[in-house]
Amino acid sequence: MKPQRTESVMLVQVPPELNATNAVTFREGIRAALTTTTTTVDFDLSKTRFVDSSGLGALIAIHKTMLNRSGHVRVLNPGPSVLQILEVTRLNRLFEVVHS
Amino acid sequence: MKVILHCPIDAPGVPALSRRTPLVLAPFLGSTVLSHALTGLAGEGVKQVRLQAGDKTAEILRVIGKGDLWGLKISGGLAHDPEFSGARTVSLDSLPQWPDIALWTSYPTWFKAQLTLMERLARMRVGMREQRAGVFVGLRTRVAADAQLVGPAWIGDNVFIGAGAIVGPEVVIEDDSYLDDGAEVVGSIVGPGTYAGSFTELKRSFAWGRELLSLETGSVTEVQDRFLLGEAKAPGFSISRLWKRWQKKNSTS
Repeated sequence: MKPQRTESVMLVQVPPELNATNAVTFREGIRAALTTTTTTVDFDLSKTRFVDSSGLGALIAIHKTMLNRSGHVRVLNPGPSVLQILEVTRLNRLFEVVHS
Repeated sequence: MKVILHCPIDAPGVPALSRRTPLVLAPFLGSTVLSHALTGLAGEGVKQVRLQAGDKTAEILRVIGKGDLWGLKISGGLAHDPEFSGARTVSLDSLPQWPDIALWTSYPTWFKAQLTLMERLARMRVGMREQRAGVFVGLRTRVAADAQLVGPAWIGDNVFIGAGAIVGPEVVIEDDSYLDDGAEVVGSIVGPGTYAGSFTELKRSFAWGRELLSLETGSVTEVQDRFLLGEAKAPGFSISRLWKRWQKKNSTS
């Protein structure tokens, strides 16, 4: 996970697998990297093949953190498998899903 | 009357359907395509069937047996059997009783075939009743009072549909499946013995155990979290316990 930043947007490249083994590190890494000017966190899921409930939990946690800061989270370019998981869990309604 | 029944092992339009089972044993409205085909052939007066399914022939024969269920004598193998010289060859690209309905061209075709044949096969199935317009429900199936069923829908035998669940339109829920409270299934197939967890949403999908297939893109995902989607009879996972929990919750609320 290597956050890239503009003034207000943090772009996070999500790893190929986001699961119980790396979800906490992922979440805490993002929280530590947030600055007072960050209003949007973009999760780039284009290279992610697999997300389980722990991984989804990390995305939701960051979503809640950003809501508390009056910011928001976007999910960029999820592949078909990840998109299916987002749809099954209805998280596609919670996150703004962007395809470019 | 004798028939050589050619069973495709896989089909380019629906590769995921043969991941878990030979293609002709994929679930199809309460049974399998092969079972429905054998029913059709028996209805035509066929007495003997020679099944040809390449290296899957033995596996298929182990599942369907020798044909007693259909009053047929079924054998199998690629080798030429002089007993079947001149016999009609039937290819299972469609059901023999409905040759105009293609099965394996694509996932939407396979799904559409089930919607098209739903009512006809429901009326032939023992114990299945039309609970409301276009909603066919099988034996020993329990549906919570506030679940919403919208036709066309096929809900097989021994299915449980929990409180607030939404099922339909255009849905097939195969036998022994369990949709927990608040689950929503629209335009989809739930394979036999599948558990869909609370508030799980299935749209334009085929869920069978942990496997989730998008009927639109053909993408297959294996869901790791059993509380979302899984085998209803997996080790350590008890449908009867879920059912008792549900009864307890709904008797006290």
